[in-house]
Amino acid sequence: MDYRKLVETIPMAKREPLLNKLIDLILSSKNDEKMPTQLANVILLHWQSDILISESGLTALFEAAVLLEPDKTIEVFAQLELAGLAEQIKESVTKT
Amino acid sequence: MVKFGIEFVPRELYWKIIYYAIQAERGGFSNLWVTDHFNNRNVYVTLTVAAIYTNKIVFGPGVTNPYLVNPVFTAQAVATLNELAPGRVVLGMGAGDRTTLESVGVDMQKPLSAIQEAVDIFRKITGGESVVYKGEVFKVAGAKFLFKPKGRIPVYVGAQGPKMLELAGKIGDGVLINACHPKDVEYAVNCVKEGVRQAGKKFDEVDVVAYTSFSVHEDVKKAIKAAVRVVASIVAGSPSQVLERHGIDVKKAEEIRGALKANDWGRAFGAVTSEMIEAFSVCGTPDTCIERIALLLKCGISQFVVGSPIGFNVREAISLVSDKIIPYFKV
Repeated sequence: MDYRKLVETIPMAKREPLLNKLIDLILSSKNDEKMPTQLANVILLHWQSDILISESGLTALFEAAVLLEPDKTIEVFAQLELAGLAEQIKESVTKT
Repeated sequence: MVKFGIEFVPRELYWKIIYYAIQAERGGFSNLWVTDHFNNRNVYVTLTVAAIYTNKIVFGPGVTNPYLVNPVFTAQAVATLNELAPGRVVLGMGAGDRTTLESVGVDMQKPLSAIQEAVDIFRKITGGESVVYKGEVFKVAGAKFLFKPKGRIPVYVGAQGPKMLELAGKIGDGVLINACHPKDVEYAVNCVKEGVRQAGKKFDEVDVVAYTSFSVHEDVKKAIKAAVRVVASIVAGSPSQVLERHGIDVKKAEEIRGALKANDWGRAFGAVTSEMIEAFSVCGTPDTCIERIALLLKCGISQFVVGSPIGFNVREAISLVSDKIIPYFKV
């Protein structure tokens, strides 16, 4: 799944609520051991510069959310009425 | 003006703690404390990452103990951290807890001497001296760093009992008081004042810290739900005179202790009463927490530490403290 390409299709108005939901999902995940160190560091670097809302920041969060909580990530996208994206994540998760 | 600190337990992975640390720094917290227990992740590794990702927050172990980690080694770690974040590093040193020490076969012998000597050794060696020391607990035979430590590192002494509080006031640049209730904090501050007096210092030269178990949420039930786990273990570890001072049934406390030992969390947490929450945590809505912090300020504290569990949702709780509580005290 090309996370960056998917992020680029997310309407601007939905990015901030998505950002908040993904952060909460990642921070409260019980599967935190699944987080790759390099990805964690990318997220922290973006947070340190306060640019998590950027496309590269959202891409990192999106990837982390799918790795840690695939089903809940699908729910988040569905809640934000991003059904197309939710479907793509579902397909990708099912394949792996 | 009161400072706000925040405590993290490195049972969590580093990236979670660092996310929250960046958030806290941005939200107006001035101090970051990371606990040091052998059964969690390493405090200095966590603090090193914190040093890299933060810019101005002051940080340190809160607290390390000299029984498990020799003060010379603590000095080396803290002095190295101070090179990474000059002027932002402090040391929190306490005697530790007997149960944890016993589990690794270490006796908590002469805690007052141990702390006094450890602080002394720490200051000498981080001051660049070659240390020869013959204490009751520690002996050093000419130890000296092969690098030049940068600047003076403030030492905070963690204390609970009257004698240790007095010593902390006497030798510490700061005192970490492990208490939440104004009754306990007032008593502790008076002990600290006695130590300060003996040392011929001024009280406002010492950073007096209430290191609390804290839980905030707009929904008080959620705040309590988060606090219950931590309060249960505080109650289980408290001596009967402390429980009685707060009107807590000692038998209830024994019941909690037994349930925790048996890993029966439901029974342990179910036995926690509102009196216990009141005595051993600062817990509730932002307004309730403000009221309690204001009472602690009247007792003479200069730093308030938001300690574990922080809240039902840590990220949300840090935002509440940053947006509603800290601004109230900055006016």
